[in-house]
Amino acid sequence: MQKTSEDDTKHPTFRGVRMRSWGKWVSEIREPRKKSRIWLETYPTAEMAARAHDVGALAIKGCSAYLNFPELAKELPLPASMSPKEIQAATSRAAASTRIINSSFNTEMLSCQWTGGIEAIVARLELPSRLSWFLGRVSRFLALYSMAKDPVRVLVTGAAGQIGYALVPMIARGVMLGPDQPVILHMLDIEPAAEALTGVRMELVDAAFPLLRDVVVTTDVTVACKGVNIAVMVGGFPRKEGMERKDVMSKNVSIYKAQASALEKQAAPDCKVLVVANPANTNALILKEFAPSIPEKNITCLTRLDHNRALGQLSERLKIHVSEVKNVIIWGNHSSTQYPDVNHATVTPANGEEKPVRSVVADDNWLNTEFITMVQQRGAAIIKARKLSSALSAASAACDHIRDWVVGTPKGTWVSMGVYSDGSYGIQPGVIYSYPVTCDKGQWSIVQGLKIDDFSRQKMDATAKELVEEKTLAYSCLN
Amino acid sequence: MAKEPVRVLVTGAAGQIGYALVPMIARGIMLGADQPVILHMLDIPFAAEALNGVKMELVDAAFPLLKGVVATTDVVEACTGVNVAVMVGGFPRKEGMERKDVMSKNVSIYKSQASALEQHAAPNCKVLVVANPANTNALILKEFAPSIPAKNITCLTRLDHNRALGQISERLSVQVSDVKNVIIWGNHSSTQYPDVNHATVGDKPVRELVKDDEWLNGEFITTVQQRGAAIIKARKLSSALSAASAACDHIRDWVLGTPEGLWVSMGVYSDGSYNVPAGVIYSFPVTCKNGEWTIVQGLAIDEFSRKKLDLTGAELTEEKELAYSCLS
Repeated sequence: MQKTSEDDTKHPTFRGVRMRSWGKWVSEIREPRKKSRIWLETYPTAEMAARAHDVGALAIKGCSAYLNFPELAKELPLPASMSPKEIQAATSRAAASTRIINSSFNTEMLSCQWTGGIEAIVARLELPSRLSWFLGRVSRFLALYSMAKDPVRVLVTGAAGQIGYALVPMIARGVMLGPDQPVILHMLDIEPAAEALTGVRMELVDAAFPLLRDVVVTTDVTVACKGVNIAVMVGGFPRKEGMERKDVMSKNVSIYKAQASALEKQAAPDCKVLVVANPANTNALILKEFAPSIPEKNITCLTRLDHNRALGQLSERLKIHVSEVKNVIIWGNHSSTQYPDVNHATVTPANGEEKPVRSVVADDNWLNTEFITMVQQRGAAIIKARKLSSALSAASAACDHIRDWVVGTPKGTWVSMGVYSDGSYGIQPGVIYSYPVTCDKGQWSIVQGLKIDDFSRQKMDATAKELVEEKTLAYSCLN
Repeated sequence: MAKEPVRVLVTGAAGQIGYALVPMIARGIMLGADQPVILHMLDIPFAAEALNGVKMELVDAAFPLLKGVVATTDVVEACTGVNVAVMVGGFPRKEGMERKDVMSKNVSIYKSQASALEQHAAPNCKVLVVANPANTNALILKEFAPSIPAKNITCLTRLDHNRALGQISERLSVQVSDVKNVIIWGNHSSTQYPDVNHATVGDKPVRELVKDDEWLNGEFITTVQQRGAAIIKARKLSSALSAASAACDHIRDWVLGTPEGLWVSMGVYSDGSYNVPAGVIYSFPVTCKNGEWTIVQGLAIDEFSRKKLDLTGAELTEEKELAYSCLS
C-alpha cells in the first residue's frame, strides 16, 4: 500500500486526512493496538476522506471513536449487532437514505475508480469479515453522499409575506446559489402570520424541489437564525400606496435591533446578510450597530433592484435586450434620493463594439432628468399599478445580489450593493451607502477610481446627506 | 449560438398563479437555462393596470433570458405565434367553494379561447390547462379547437403528483427527489387517485418501506386529494407557488423529456387505456420524449385501484355532461 511521503500534508482540522502532493486526499486510520496507519482510500476532497475515516473509526472503536463529523454519524445507521441480517439492514437503510444527487453514479462505477480496493485494505484490519463488508458498503455510500455539496442554510424573514412568497421558490430552484447547490430554508415571521407561514411550508413540500433539503418554519427568531449562512431580511412593514418611507422607519428600527442580537449569537460564522425591508440602508445600519461581532462587510442592503430597474429603463429606451447594457451605478440610499448614474455604463450589442450609454442614447437631458426620476420613483409606480409593492422584481434582485456576492461578478461587470461606507468617493464613513462593486471569492470590493463630474457629485452628496439624517432619526427612535 | 426564443402564453397572468409563474418562466425553469423566452400575458380588462404592473416588474428584473413581453387584454394578440400556452385564467377557488360552482363560468371562457388559440397559435402549440375544473376546461378547449392535435391539450395533475411525492418523502424522512413513480389517475379533483403501487425509493417499493397499507390506502390518499383545500385554509388563498412550479415541471418534462426510468402524471386525452372512459381528459402515468408524451402501459391494477380509477372516470364523464349542458 502507499507509504507516507515527505510531500504529504496533514489536514489542519480533519483527523485521519492527508493531502498527497498532487492534490488528492487520502483517508487513513490507525490499526487497532498498533502505531502504524492504514490507507483507507483516496478522494478528491478532504471532506470525503474525513468521512471515510469516520466510518472506519466508528466500526473499530464504536462510541469512543473520534469523529470528524459527529453530527453526521448519528445519521449513519449502524448495525445493532454483528449479525448478517442487521448489517444488511443497516447498509440498505444507508443506501436508501438520500443525499445522493447524481443518479449516474453507482457503487460499481465508483469502486472501479478506487485504487487498492476497499476490501483489500479493510482486510488488513483483521476485522470480522461481515464488518469489513459493511464498512466497504457504508464507505461507498458516504463517498457518494460527499459528492453532493453540503446544503447552505438560507434565512428569509417576513417569509409569509409577498416578497417571501416570491423569493422562496427562487431560492429552492437554485436561482440564488446555483443549480447544484442544495439549500435548507429557514422562514421566520410574526405570530399572526404563523398559519400562513405553515401554508408556505406546505407548498414548498408540495413542489417537490430537488435542491430543497429541509424547511425550518418558526416565529422564534433564535431558532430562525441558528446556523444560517445567508440571511435575507425581508420582514418589516410593507410600504402601501401613499406611505412615505420615513413613516415606517421607527417601527422597523426596533425590529432590526432585536434581530441583530439573534443573528449575531446564532448565525454561522461569516453569515452574509442582505437587508431588503425599507428603509433598507438604515435598517442594515441598525443591524450592523447592534451585531458588532458580525463583520461589517457582511451586512449589506438591496439596491440591486434599482440597478436592474436602471438597466431595464435603458434597454427599453434603446430597444435592445437588457443583457446588452451594463455598469450602471446606483449611488446612495434605496430611496427617492438614490442616484442612478450612467456615466460609466456601456452598451455592447451582440458581435458589436462596447460603447458608452451616453453616446448611444444621445440625450443627456433625458439621462439627467426623466431617466433618474423614473428609476427613483419606480417603486411607487409599481404600487400604483398593482396596488401592492414590487415582490417579483425585489425577490429576483435579492437572488442576483446574493448570487453575485457568493459566486462572483463576471469579468468587466460590476453591480450595485448597499455596503458599509469606508469613505470612498468622499462619502461619509459609517452609513450603508450603495456603491459600484465587483465580487470575488465571496467578498465585494468597491470599484475605485471612477471619474465623478459635478452633477454626479451633487447627487451623491444629497443622498449621503439623507442617509446621515436617517441615521440620526433612527437613533432618536431608539432613545 | 443562441436559441430562437420560444413564445409562452400565460392567461390570467395578473393573478396569483401568474405572478408566481412568470418569473419562473423568465429564469428558464420551464424550458431550460439556455432557452430564451418571449412572454405573452393575457388578462381581462378589469385587470389591465395590474397586468401592466407585472410587465413593469418583468422589465425591472432584467432577466437575461426574457427577450420580450406582450401584455394584453386582447385574446388574439395574446395567442399570436405562441408555442406554449398555460391557461391559468379563470375563477379562482375561494375558501368554501366547490369546483362545480365555478364550472359554468369557466366553460364559456374556454370555448372562446379555444377559437383564438386554434387560429393564432404557432403550429404544434403545447397547451396546459391549470384553471379549475382543469380536466373539463381542457376538454372544452379541445372540443372547440379541432385543428389543435388532441395530444397537444393537457391539464395539470403534476401538482397532485408532486404533492404525493412530498407526502411520501415526509413519511419516510427521505429526500423528495428520491421518491419516484407515484401516479395520479383521473380528475384533478377530490376523486383523483394517488397510487403508490408502482412507486419506489431507490429500488425499493414504497409500500414495503412505508409498511402501513392502511395509511397508504386511507389518509395518504385523502391528504393528497384535499391538499388544495388545506392550503387555502392555511393561506386564505389557493396554492400559487406550488401550482406555478408544477406547471413548469409539466411543460419542462413534456418538452425536454422525462429521465430514464421515471414517469410523471399528466392529464391527457384518454384513448381508453386502462379501461377508463375515452374522450375525456384523464390523468395517466406518462413518459415524454422528443416533445411527445406516451402513456405507460401494462402496469398491474389491483381491485382497490380499479374502483378508484373507475370512480374518478365516472366523475369526469358527469363533468363532461354538465359542461355540455352549460353550453346549451
